[in-house]
Amino acid sequence: MTKKFMPVFTMILVLAFILTACATPTAAPVATEAPAADATEAPVATEAAPEPVTIVLWTKEGEADGGLQYVQGLADAFTALYPNVTFEVVNKEVETLREDFQTSSLAGDPPSLLWTVSDHAGPFTTAGLIQPVDELFDMSKYVESVVMNGSTWAVPISSGNHLMLLYNKSMVPTPPATTDEFVEVAKSLTSGDVYGFAYNQTEPFFANPWLGGFGGSVFAEDGVTPTLNTPEMVATMQFLYDIKYATPIMPLESDYNGADTLFKEGKAAMLINGDWSLAGYKEALGDNFGVAPMPEVSSTGMMPAPMTSGVYFMIPVDLAGAELDAVKMFVEFVTNLENQTSMVTTLARLPGSIEALSIDAITSDPILKASSEAMTYGTPMPTVIEMRCVWDSWKPEMISMLASASGTTPEDAAANMQAAAETCIGQLE
Amino acid sequence: MITSDVILKSLNEVGVTVLYVLGGTVVIEFILWLLLVRLLKWRYAMPFMLLTPALIGLLVLVVYPLVWEANLSFMNMSLKHFRNPIYIGFDNYIRVFKEPVLKQIYFFPLLGQTVLWTAINITFHVVIGMVLALLLNRQMRGKGIYRMLLIIPWAVPQVIAVLAWRGEFHYEFGFVNIMLKALGFQPLQWLSEPVANFAAMCITNIWLGIPFMMVILLGGLQSIAGEYYEAAEIDGANAWQRFWKVTFPLMKPVSTPAIILGTVWTFNNFNVPFFINQNELETSDILVTGLFRAAFQYNRYSFAAAFAFVIFAILVTYSIVYLRSSGALKGVRD
Amino acid sequence: MNANTNSQPERKIKMQKKSFFNSGREDSPFKRILIHATLWIACLISIYPITRILSVALRPGNRLLSADLAIIPIGATLESFRIVFFEKPFLSWIWNSLTITVATAIIGVILAATSAYAFSRYKFPGRSVGLIFLLTTQMIPAVMLLVPIYILAIKLGLVGTYRGLVVAYAVTAIPFSIWILKGYYDTIPIDLEEAARIDGCSELQAFMKILLPLSTPALAIVFLFNFTTAWNDYLLARIMLGSKEDLLTWPLGLQRLQGQFVTQWGQFSAASILVAIPVMILFLYTSKYLISGLTLGSVKG
Repeated sequence: MTKKFMPVFTMILVLAFILTACATPTAAPVATEAPAADATEAPVATEAAPEPVTIVLWTKEGEADGGLQYVQGLADAFTALYPNVTFEVVNKEVETLREDFQTSSLAGDPPSLLWTVSDHAGPFTTAGLIQPVDELFDMSKYVESVVMNGSTWAVPISSGNHLMLLYNKSMVPTPPATTDEFVEVAKSLTSGDVYGFAYNQTEPFFANPWLGGFGGSVFAEDGVTPTLNTPEMVATMQFLYDIKYATPIMPLESDYNGADTLFKEGKAAMLINGDWSLAGYKEALGDNFGVAPMPEVSSTGMMPAPMTSGVYFMIPVDLAGAELDAVKMFVEFVTNLENQTSMVTTLARLPGSIEALSIDAITSDPILKASSEAMTYGTPMPTVIEMRCVWDSWKPEMISMLASASGTTPEDAAANMQAAAETCIGQLE
Repeated sequence: MITSDVILKSLNEVGVTVLYVLGGTVVIEFILWLLLVRLLKWRYAMPFMLLTPALIGLLVLVVYPLVWEANLSFMNMSLKHFRNPIYIGFDNYIRVFKEPVLKQIYFFPLLGQTVLWTAINITFHVVIGMVLALLLNRQMRGKGIYRMLLIIPWAVPQVIAVLAWRGEFHYEFGFVNIMLKALGFQPLQWLSEPVANFAAMCITNIWLGIPFMMVILLGGLQSIAGEYYEAAEIDGANAWQRFWKVTFPLMKPVSTPAIILGTVWTFNNFNVPFFINQNELETSDILVTGLFRAAFQYNRYSFAAAFAFVIFAILVTYSIVYLRSSGALKGVRD
Repeated sequence: MNANTNSQPERKIKMQKKSFFNSGREDSPFKRILIHATLWIACLISIYPITRILSVALRPGNRLLSADLAIIPIGATLESFRIVFFEKPFLSWIWNSLTITVATAIIGVILAATSAYAFSRYKFPGRSVGLIFLLTTQMIPAVMLLVPIYILAIKLGLVGTYRGLVVAYAVTAIPFSIWILKGYYDTIPIDLEEAARIDGCSELQAFMKILLPLSTPALAIVFLFNFTTAWNDYLLARIMLGSKEDLLTWPLGLQRLQGQFVTQWGQFSAASILVAIPVMILFLYTSKYLISGLTLGSVKG
């Protein structure tokens, strides 16, 4: 407490003022070039070696799950093919990446290429920080990407990010097909310090698939008006409340790490988590690890609809000339069949290019196959900036409803979130 | 990995820095000397020459950003108006008071939360710090060890300590709930329930801030001459009276700056509320975390700039009032 | 209240004079036990959360949470420490932090010492305004300044280097340092310096040969303060260094251990422990200075 962790004010070199009058300031290693008026005339990449450039690649892939090493490997392989192109691969955590990209764009010093999550396309497009990719690549080769205002804004690398029902085969031999079955099975397993089910109760992302199962959706047809105060939402929230308090099958407090630990330690028979976590559970539970789509909602007969998104390439708006050429070649390199196949086997993620979706590596691995099947029930996550408002409004209501047996009621929660979302959207101007 | 490359690079960078600083200072001082001493023969040349490097740094790096932010606060920059914001006058300042500054909370409730947060923390800091200081202020064995162990919360990097505490408040696995259960109480949902979360924030910050207060107050105690106590004892004062009539007033010159600084730092404390409040409960936000969210999470840059100035104005007003009333500025004005 | 207008030798005696609870030796055993017990409980509360971090660091697998309350967990292993030390660029983070921090502390102390001298020994127009200005700078919410600083840094070409960062840290710590040092200087009678001047020293010499040696405790505090400011900082380092992998300081490095969904908690905790140790040692070593310094400086208001 004594000293603020952040300095009260930041200072820059006092003397730089004087000295920069004499010395040339060393600009950051990659300065984006002044936009050339004919940037779109750049030819489609050929095999000709590009001019010497350094690509500054910001990636959200970290070391923990091998992602960063994979990206670095791709960069090195590309440099081996085209020695003129060198890379500076920088890893930034997702929120940090978004904030830093916005700040650095404001200051006129953005990186050359982004490897990041699809929902970043919303803020970046709204602020005019990235360029459309329709003219640069053949988008028909890829799964559905981010389309806003009639243009496509990102190139898929991997797709998925969808939530699934994960289960421990030693406790649950066959996965439940409907929610009634699900509650039954979980109830029978909940005793002592073992729970039938656990999930991250603090993030609405994990509640969202159920909304689809009850027939609702967060936005209206136009994709930007929130529809949170609906009977479907109330039913969803009621369902979540019930499995916590009415027919208890889960722990009273479990966030992402909590649920993850319980499942790994065998203290939770079933879990809801996404495709990024599969590798970790395969390692922890071995053959006892099972994957299935989330169970059908008994009262409506509909399958839950997890939101799918992906990891995409995005290109800063002012990138042009030789840098843009090199970036184009790299993007196509990363998304070619060979590299997409290696991504599937190394990172256990579903690919973004259509032809790679039917490779053996996927069809012959039961986990990947189940994941691929689960993805078919998914719906693409909206990337508009209004989506952020939806999450931010839903989260506190979900938490306060689940905070105690007599917390906010589902009806109130739905009404509150709608109000908050509308306020938030109104403030977006 | 740490290779000789890395070492050399660091040293090189630092070496360049030092050269810049030295070189720059020499240049500045020389110019000033010529100007003030030789040319103008100003009698205040010396202090200004001494102060100038720091002054330049502060002016450039505090004033420039403040001016930039002030400028920004009169515009409408946000995600939708990122590259070409326009001027909208005082609108942002009015909106700070009329619209929710977070998703749902308005300005005055947030201010209230911040004041409550500050008051609770400072009270405990001072009281417990004082108690510990009094206990340590005696001849006894192991004083050094106690001091050493009690300082640890201050010495550990704050973010690490806060994350450690957050782990302790975990419902299932955290130490706090395990103790509560062992004592027969109901465990609390520290991270999701508003009141419990606020309490968790306070507990963490109190733990963090006690050593600082304790050290300062201990020093203050040690500087009080024994004669005062002897005189009081002769006059028949008991321990309680001795404390209030002798210790307390004599500690004021030490405790006042500590309390002011402590209050300001607590008011503006970002790390503790932000990291304990993992689930973004708006009831656990204080002004500065709200400011951070407005600026970086909700991307309302201009609004955040106005918001920041309002916070700043509040603190400045408070400090001036407090300083005036406690007479601590007396030493400054002579 | 004016106990400190005495001359040097007397003051030293007062520093060593025991407090009025001299009666430590005369306390009843019960009172003594009570006091020791209280202190022990306080110490326990002080260190417990840190020991928990140690547990996570020693725990096998990547478990942040576990029902196991033991400080040395079952199956304790030094694996996380080993990975952090040898497989991550941890040592380079520490080294980078160290070089920046030491440079900051040295520059900061010099700047503060000279500036505080001006405030303490000279009466010049703008003196009180300056002091109040310094105080108000402590109240600015730092968040406000990040973006303009970044923009300025880009314009001046300081991003990705240490230059800007070191001076930024040093100047950040200046206001608090000046207040502390000035307070301390104020308690040292000016007669000593005047005597030296009469003997033929220049102002600067008097400053360096007389005043500075006497202010060692306050200088130690300022050094420590600058050190911790630079050592612990994350936000400034992030905007200045964020994209240069080989110049990272430890807060930035530690953040690298946190993935989007998966965090290597074992390694994160091991790294945290390792990072906290040097600071704790430094603190403990200088804590004796802290106590004498902080008070003598401020008693005079």
